[in-house]
Amino acid sequence: MRNQEKARFQRDSPPGGQSLKSRPLGERSPQKPLSYVDHFGLSAADLREVLGVALSSGGDFAEIFMERRAYDFINMEEDIIKETAEAISLGMGIRVIRGDRTGFGYTNDLSLDKVKKTALTASAIARGKAGQAPPPPLRDRTRASSRYIVRRPASEASLREKMTLVREAYAAAKGYDPRIAKVKTHHSDSLVHVCIANSEGLLVRDTRPMVKLICVAISEKDGKRESGYWGGGGRVGMEYFHDVLTPREIGEEAAREALLLLEAVDAPAGEMPIVLAPGHSGVLIHEAVGHLLEADFTRKKTSIFWNKMGKKVGSGLVTIYDDPTIPSARGSYNIDDEGTPPRKTLLVERGVVRGLLQDKLSSRLMHGAALTGHGRRQDYSHWPIPRMANTYIAAGADAPEDILRSVKKGFYVASLSGGQVEDSGKFTFSVSLGYLIEDGKLTAPVKQATLIGTNIDILKKIDRVGSDLAFGLQTGTCSKDGQDVPVTDGCPTLRIEKMTVGGRS
Amino acid sequence: MKTRQAARPAPPLRDLAETLVVYARTCGADEAEVSVVDGYEFNVDVRKGRIETLIEAGSRSAGVRIIKDKKTAYASSSDLDMGTLNRLVRNAVRRAELGNPDEFAGLAPLSKEQVDAASLDLYDPEIARLDSKTKIALARDTERAALRDKRITNSYGATFASNEIRSVLAMTTGFVGEYEQTYCGLGVGLQAGDTDDRVEDSWSSSKRHFKDLETPDAIARKAVERTVRQLKPRKIRTQNVPVIFDPTQTSWLMGFLFGCVTGTAIYQKASFLEGKLGQRIGNERVTVIDDALMPGQLGSHPFDSDGLPCRRTMVVEKGVLRNFLCNYYSARKLGLRSTGSADGSGVGPANFYLEPGPGAVAAQDIIAGTKKGLLLIRTLGHGLNSVTGDISRGAFGLWIEDGAIAYPVTEVTISGNLGRILETIEAVGTDLEFLSPVTGPTIRVAEMTVAGE
Repeated sequence: MRNQEKARFQRDSPPGGQSLKSRPLGERSPQKPLSYVDHFGLSAADLREVLGVALSSGGDFAEIFMERRAYDFINMEEDIIKETAEAISLGMGIRVIRGDRTGFGYTNDLSLDKVKKTALTASAIARGKAGQAPPPPLRDRTRASSRYIVRRPASEASLREKMTLVREAYAAAKGYDPRIAKVKTHHSDSLVHVCIANSEGLLVRDTRPMVKLICVAISEKDGKRESGYWGGGGRVGMEYFHDVLTPREIGEEAAREALLLLEAVDAPAGEMPIVLAPGHSGVLIHEAVGHLLEADFTRKKTSIFWNKMGKKVGSGLVTIYDDPTIPSARGSYNIDDEGTPPRKTLLVERGVVRGLLQDKLSSRLMHGAALTGHGRRQDYSHWPIPRMANTYIAAGADAPEDILRSVKKGFYVASLSGGQVEDSGKFTFSVSLGYLIEDGKLTAPVKQATLIGTNIDILKKIDRVGSDLAFGLQTGTCSKDGQDVPVTDGCPTLRIEKMTVGGRS
Repeated sequence: MKTRQAARPAPPLRDLAETLVVYARTCGADEAEVSVVDGYEFNVDVRKGRIETLIEAGSRSAGVRIIKDKKTAYASSSDLDMGTLNRLVRNAVRRAELGNPDEFAGLAPLSKEQVDAASLDLYDPEIARLDSKTKIALARDTERAALRDKRITNSYGATFASNEIRSVLAMTTGFVGEYEQTYCGLGVGLQAGDTDDRVEDSWSSSKRHFKDLETPDAIARKAVERTVRQLKPRKIRTQNVPVIFDPTQTSWLMGFLFGCVTGTAIYQKASFLEGKLGQRIGNERVTVIDDALMPGQLGSHPFDSDGLPCRRTMVVEKGVLRNFLCNYYSARKLGLRSTGSADGSGVGPANFYLEPGPGAVAAQDIIAGTKKGLLLIRTLGHGLNSVTGDISRGAFGLWIEDGAIAYPVTEVTISGNLGRILETIEAVGTDLEFLSPVTGPTIRVAEMTVAGE
């Protein structure tokens, strides 16, 4: 069944799913009149005809989402490039909305006949009289500018070049210390072409690149083993691994974490003051706030935030945004998966709830609330739902070292592997590496522990916010309703007055 | 630019798989394996009595494994245009050439034994015959029955889903296999309590045969019961106590154990059980089996993705680790035999479960025999580390005092270690049900840390 898991973030996702040969990025020419839509073999006139079929049972709105995804993967383990993979995914999802009902069908056979049949299946939800006029002619709104800053597209780089990156990261981890027993390195890149047409006359395209290089290192000492993880990427080109984060750094960081954990002590158990490192700890905001301000949970009144718009739910130090427009970030896009240009959205301002992440359906059902461009889907076989992109807590005024110095005895969260939330506001996040804080200083490294709290309680307890806003690893994936989408989170150094740490006593 | 009109349509599934295997050989592959899957999906979500979403769709995809000079490359596509598929196969051969040779790479030789797919009873023709109205009504009835209870304050909606899947696998070794399977599922998610004190839970039934599905009333009753029993929870002090896992919780614990006994995790040294084969890893109450041959069960299947026949494997026998679950590759690396557990390029479970055994007792007696402890009913977050066996998760439970449920507990975490848990299981329940392919009965573990205030 679909809809199994509601809302969880993982810093990495299993390989699969998502690059290849096609036009270079940034060469889109929207001015050119469209006869055929690239990669899909259907003309604008075909698409309009299909939209007409989709509305033939009286739907209020119909939409076609076409997607071609090309994905490349390289796996290195046991000192060899063990396997490579290439995946192509091509298909179309058709959605028809009537009131609060959605009909959805998808197909990977894009012949006009099959596509019309799919439209008819989706239309059945409406069960009424045919719509009035045929949908208006489609107008191409694709913009020339792009948020994906790519100098050398991975889709055009050679397999040899990518293998070199993988080997460098692998060698850096393996050679870091004799206690590194095993290393695994993955490179993946994808190029996704989407084309969206709807019964409001919209026709828009986007070409989305994604690159990821990750390393897992396993350390061993006296029969004891630990693992470390590091990685990077985003909507970037191959130059990223030279200019921003090198394969060597990725390998060394993974090894460093694995080695530190060999010396780590069990986490303490119970309530204590918490200091969160900048960057990774954004997972806290993703779980505690982001999910529960996705408009579907508010519309259905399942979210603890549904009746809190304009109300103070947190400390005055807390201001939170979701911004899909950050250049080249993993969670960014030029248009969302409904064709809406996204905007930086204020969610919480000085502790007061100010905004929701909207998609078209929720916006319609919430009496025309403004679209924010957060309607996203895993792929063509899923319908869009409100999702986060790049979520962060804005920088405050405190110097990070002052925040640390202020804690006599507590727990410092250095890196996180994931988190999960439910609509009641109960959330957890999993620390992969922490430290004890004693007299304002970091002392012993601490291994794996889960932290748990309720958002409206924890948000009030954020009592220091640092000036050092940073984003976490560009490798994270968020799952909701069985759909995975790439996201990032950010935060500055934070102090939480107290929170429950799930260690051992 | 590609035009659809000019595309060559794909031949029937089995022909397609066999044609691609032959084509791979002509492109220079030493060995090749092609899988093709044809699926049909139906899904309806009903919330507050109204259809929210209705999906109906069919889709096909193909996967290819190429071995050339002991080097492996994979490819897959949901575009079954022969031009695209042939190009992917050519690319895969070229990519394989760029990799490193791996002495263990290679397809499994053709096995003399075969499992008769029909004997496994994986396909229910009734599912294909169900009309949309019936399926929608099932979801609607389930939610309506749940909402009749006044303690329920909101609904996540009810879902009916069904799948029909035909899979074909063809290999240069001469193996060709094909089978059909069905799934159906019905479930509902609920909330109880006021906005700032909400609790939630759900129940669903998932089966291969329509007639085996729990009724809407039964599903609603369990979902309501599981939800309302969490109302008015308390936080508790941090302490070490016995923890009782209800079967839904034993299920994730078994999932975690599965991840630690795969041949892949073992050769990658990603499991704390590496090097423990033949050794005692738990007490005599721990018997864990992986069985692909149980008729009609969710995890059953005739052959694995290596084309090897599936079987029943004793994983842990009365506390002794007997077998790792291997695909052909990891088995060769470890000098073991494949257990028919290949799943894509990795290892997957069949019906993987903790067996109650002769000493098993009724679940209510386990609770009644507990002086003080936590009955674990839900968890939140990841917090599982296969390298160490360490567990730390957010937890929801019922506090047990003098053998009876005292009050619900919230906002705590449980932590412990899987190795230690297997050694200290004090009681195993008789309530084993195959609600999911990875499962187990109620169990009580002697001690875990429950962190609260």
